[in-house]
Amino acid sequence: MKPHLDMNKIALGLRAERKGHVPAGAGYFGAMQLLAEIEARFRVPVGGGRATDPEWTERRLVPLAPRTLKRLEAITDGVRARSGVSVEPMQLAALLLEKTTEQLNEDEVKDLVTVRRRASR
Amino acid sequence: MAKRRKKPARGRLPLKGGRKRVLVVLFVPSVERDGTTPIEQGRWVDAALEMFARVFGGATAYPKAKGIWRDDERDGALVKDEPVVVHCYTTPDDIEDPGNLAELGSFCRTMGRNARQGEVGLVIGDEYFAIREFSAE
Repeated sequence: MKPHLDMNKIALGLRAERKGHVPAGAGYFGAMQLLAEIEARFRVPVGGGRATDPEWTERRLVPLAPRTLKRLEAITDGVRARSGVSVEPMQLAALLLEKTTEQLNEDEVKDLVTVRRRASR
Repeated sequence: MAKRRKKPARGRLPLKGGRKRVLVVLFVPSVERDGTTPIEQGRWVDAALEMFARVFGGATAYPKAKGIWRDDERDGALVKDEPVVVHCYTTPDDIEDPGNLAELGSFCRTMGRNARQGEVGLVIGDEYFAIREFSAE
């Protein structure tokens, strides 16, 4: 049986970023298969910047409030200044979307939508 | 009625401290983030094995794999790397232990800093974790 692990706790303890699921297999062939997948999906560009995930193939126009864009810009400016990691505001938005959608369940979505509808009345 | 205890299958006795069924994978690179300057890979592999043995009880380093990829941010320059993959099996309790996580994270940051990496990659269970902030604790 697959062990249940608290991945958020692990990420916090490591001071690491969760990047996504990978098929980790045992033995030499498992190791090589995993390596190939990691190199293809999460490689870091030599010139710096965020690793490009080739799975990000879809593009959509997402409307957002000016204050949200400003907040994204402030966060990415801070990250660039402190750690030299270059990330664009909308790349951060895409990362947040990916991470949040993996963690959200249907009840939370329902609550979120209900609260928004009430607020807009 | 008392329940009959199931006999463990032959050769499948539980290991002391719980079954080691969580796979932890660390990638030890061969070059710096510029893609050309070699690092002391053997030293980092030995250090990783020692750390895994001390913290989780053991590990296996697999022979080098040859990798190559095209860096589109540098006019399609080809970057060659020969990373070593280190496997370690541990228990759910041990991998979620804050002290063990701190030690594992600290090792990754030291390697990332000293070997001038852009990112140090770890797989735990079936999830990929990236460490990109290498400042000392």
